[in-house]
Amino acid sequence: MSDGSGAGTGRLIQVDDITRVFHVGGEEVRALRGVTFGISRGEWVAIIGQSGSGKSTMMNVLGCLDTPTSGRYMLNGKDVSRMSDDELAVIRNVEIGFIFQTFQLLPKETALANVELPLVYRGMAAKERRERAKAALDKVQLTHRMHHRPNELSGGQRQRVAIARALVSEPSMLLADEPTGNLDSATGEEIVRLFEQLHQAGHTLVLVTHEPKLAARCPRAIRLSDGEIVADGPGREVAMGVAGPMVAGV
Amino acid sequence: MRAFLDNLRLALGTFLGNPLRSLLTLLGIVIGVATVITMMGLIEGLRTKVNRDLGRLGAHTFQLTKWPAGGFGRFNWAKFAKRPDMGLEDVRAIEMFCPSVGVVAPSDDQGGQKVSTVSAETRPSVRIIGASTTYPMTSGVSVQSGRYFNEVEGMDGRNVVLLGVDVADLLFPGIDPVGFEVRIQNRPFRVIGVLQRRGSFLGMVSMDNQALIPLRVFQQLYGKERSLDIDIQAKDPSLFRKAQDEVTTLMRRRRNVDPDQPNDFEIHTNESVTASFNQLSQVITIAGIGVCLLSLVVGGIGILNIMLVSVMERTREIGVRKALGAKRRRILGQFATEAVLLALFGGGLGVGLGFGLVFLGDWMVGFPMSVPPWAVGLALSMSCGVGLLFGIYPAARAAKLDPVEAMRNE
Repeated sequence: MSDGSGAGTGRLIQVDDITRVFHVGGEEVRALRGVTFGISRGEWVAIIGQSGSGKSTMMNVLGCLDTPTSGRYMLNGKDVSRMSDDELAVIRNVEIGFIFQTFQLLPKETALANVELPLVYRGMAAKERRERAKAALDKVQLTHRMHHRPNELSGGQRQRVAIARALVSEPSMLLADEPTGNLDSATGEEIVRLFEQLHQAGHTLVLVTHEPKLAARCPRAIRLSDGEIVADGPGREVAMGVAGPMVAGV
Repeated sequence: MRAFLDNLRLALGTFLGNPLRSLLTLLGIVIGVATVITMMGLIEGLRTKVNRDLGRLGAHTFQLTKWPAGGFGRFNWAKFAKRPDMGLEDVRAIEMFCPSVGVVAPSDDQGGQKVSTVSAETRPSVRIIGASTTYPMTSGVSVQSGRYFNEVEGMDGRNVVLLGVDVADLLFPGIDPVGFEVRIQNRPFRVIGVLQRRGSFLGMVSMDNQALIPLRVFQQLYGKERSLDIDIQAKDPSLFRKAQDEVTTLMRRRRNVDPDQPNDFEIHTNESVTASFNQLSQVITIAGIGVCLLSLVVGGIGILNIMLVSVMERTREIGVRKALGAKRRRILGQFATEAVLLALFGGGLGVGLGFGLVFLGDWMVGFPMSVPPWAVGLALSMSCGVGLLFGIYPAARAAKLDPVEAMRNE
């Protein structure tokens, strides 16, 4: 389990005293107020919290879709907190595999083309990326639907395509935002089992969710409230509210 | 290169995904390019035709007239109208005082005339030409049947006429009109000949819808206060330039033109007429390109509009692409490629349509039009430019989108 100090080696993610301030209609909204934690390679961590707790902002910062107002974010040894848009685009492409609640598949493209997309922006040759996309689809058992468009797939299948897309570029971490939020419970369970398999295979997984049940399945969970970490510990304990503040956080 | 191919594939996909919308967007560009292609085809055809048809003046012949040969825009017709008329006295003076001149053939003409017989009449569209007996030597007119009028008929002003083929066919279908009587301006004329067919000028105006009468009779019918066109042939090809100089000097003296003033008459040669047409065709070319540019701007605004709509519709897609690692430049390239491809396709359609119109013109009026390759190149590159110019703003907007905001877009 992580100690959150950021001092250890093999640390994939280290955020130190991250803040994120938005200005909405002349008012200052502090979405993150000095968040510090670390995630090691191969960890499976849930970030949970109520609506407005700052977890979506955290997810955007972790996913390099947004930069913090202050503080430092080290991802795989690189300080990404002050990078330009284009540098962040490269980091997103290489280091992060996104899995979104609403899948975010391109509706006009086939499952295969959707999975290929991150490799397109890596400048890979068409033949090679097709091979790799097929392999990724094979990992989520969807090879037989690879020529179907998203509207021809079920919700679970769509999310599996999204997972294949996240896996295809062999990123440092998979970052999932409410991955089961749009799925019925049986399909959701199917996806969670897939995450378990990926975790066992050594992938680093970060899940952002408001569902305690999902967080309870993760070995570690971080609870955010009002932009601050209020609990960090084993998923089951944090999800049930047993874990006290900063069990493993600082 | 790989990025470009990917962008091209994406652009093609979008284009084929909304074929009707794309086509409607392109209408402005299609029309603009079709216009320029057709106009260029027309001008090129005209040029070929003019070079052939305007060469009617025989070898070492030039024409002296009060009017300029044509042209466009910068002519002050009122100024030319004030110039003194050319008269028969001028003809006689040239014959007397210009030793290098061999033949002088004055003529005058009046369009919109009716020629009739007892039983038939033409529409009021016949050109009546009053000519000297020397006219066939300089004008390229020749007689198909019958004969030309002789010195006596010319001098006496006899009422004799030679009919153009069109007039002869209309008034005397199937028979030789020589010896019959026709009426022009209610005056009876005896037909003494039919002119050789000359075809149509520039494929449009028939040169056979005319009747030729002695100049003296013409002046009785239409008055003497008119300016003559005087065809002048040098005695010998080597004297062509000298004859022109002699005539110019003589005419300047006769018309009291001060030494520091320009000529108040015109001397046309085949070359000068062709040159003045070329000047006209340049003006038409520029006007054509102007029309094309205007249509292209309209087309460009269409592209701008549709690209803005496209960026708005695909905001979410742009967000996803950026989240997955697309840099700004890549998104910019994607949408700019789409705009250029759209415009280029419009340009292609326009070129096709233009060629179609040119062939149609060729087939329907027998006008030999041809499209110069540079016009196709110009039209396509202008389309490309328009696509890029009007596509860059929407593309830049797309490139600037924030991925998080964009993905939230419904």
